[in-house]
Amino acid sequence: MNKMKLIFGVILFGSLWGFSETIIGTYLHNTSLPAGSIMTGVFAVGLMTISRALYKQRGMQLGMGLVAGMLRLFNPCSTCFICSAIAIMAEGLIFEVAWYNLSLDLAELKKTTMMASMGVIASYGCFVGGYIVTQILTPLSQSAGFHIENLLVFMPQILAKGLPAALIGGIVVPVALLSKKIDIAGVKDKVYYPFTATVSATCWVIVILNAIFILKII
Amino acid sequence: MGKEKIIPIIAIISLLIGISSSIYVYATSPSISSYTEGDKSIIINNQELTIEQIFSDAEIRNIVTPDGINFSGVALDDLITKANVGCPSCHEYKIIAADSYEKTVTWENIQHGVLTEDGTAAFSDLAKTFRVRYVIKIEVV
Repeated sequence: MNKMKLIFGVILFGSLWGFSETIIGTYLHNTSLPAGSIMTGVFAVGLMTISRALYKQRGMQLGMGLVAGMLRLFNPCSTCFICSAIAIMAEGLIFEVAWYNLSLDLAELKKTTMMASMGVIASYGCFVGGYIVTQILTPLSQSAGFHIENLLVFMPQILAKGLPAALIGGIVVPVALLSKKIDIAGVKDKVYYPFTATVSATCWVIVILNAIFILKII
Repeated sequence: MGKEKIIPIIAIISLLIGISSSIYVYATSPSISSYTEGDKSIIINNQELTIEQIFSDAEIRNIVTPDGINFSGVALDDLITKANVGCPSCHEYKIIAADSYEKTVTWENIQHGVLTEDGTAAFSDLAKTFRVRYVIKIEVV
């Protein structure tokens, strides 16, 4: 795969992930739905799975996490921007680790049970890992500081809250893996680059405009 | 053992951890429903006080949290002082919820905190992570 094409892919999928975290995530958190589980199971793991299936490259999802985390920094709706951004990057890293030993063409994931299993593992790992990272980093950035006993006593809650994310991931990943059939390398450059650049730029512009709008309200 | 066996086994273990944790949380935190339905009381420095007692004789403070939400309630520092804590600034305070969530804060944070009538502790100088709902106990550490 052409390196430039891959970089544009990382930016495209990272921007879509960051956009969903900042715009859709903010609105989901105001509903009674399990926002964190939906964000991880559908958007984070779903987009990372599609990108892995399309581009067949290791390391891409970590790059996506970096792009999405950077975009998350533009969202003023949380106290610790950097903590949320690092939690997203951690999700990218956890996904990479979970999928590292699979072949590039994902030949192991032919049966639905295997696809669903990878979805469960990736979503549960990303949700629990991201939650723990946030619970450590946010207190560290605050004057109260981090107390390990506060985290340990809450661990059963974190492990329990990951269950919906795992179940969602078990459904989303088999659906996302249908994109394996698309030959991204075969897409013509004159279509691929303008399309990825336009979609990525649109995500960034919307997030930045949203941030300016919210800051004006505050 | 091949990937065809390991991957489903890890997935099942993940689900079992999630299910068993959910059962554990459900079994050990029955107090949330009773907390929201019944008369609330909070243990502060080993003294049990009802919300009515707390609110009958305490300074009311209005704060705005860093995420822009307004909270009105009893000033936590006033509450701690009235609970006869010797040298309040020498200690840290562990705020414990009915669902086992807990956060440890400093005296400086306490001076920026409130306890609302519905039993939520919130701080104007701390992130949302430090907002504790269903408070049942404030321990002097």
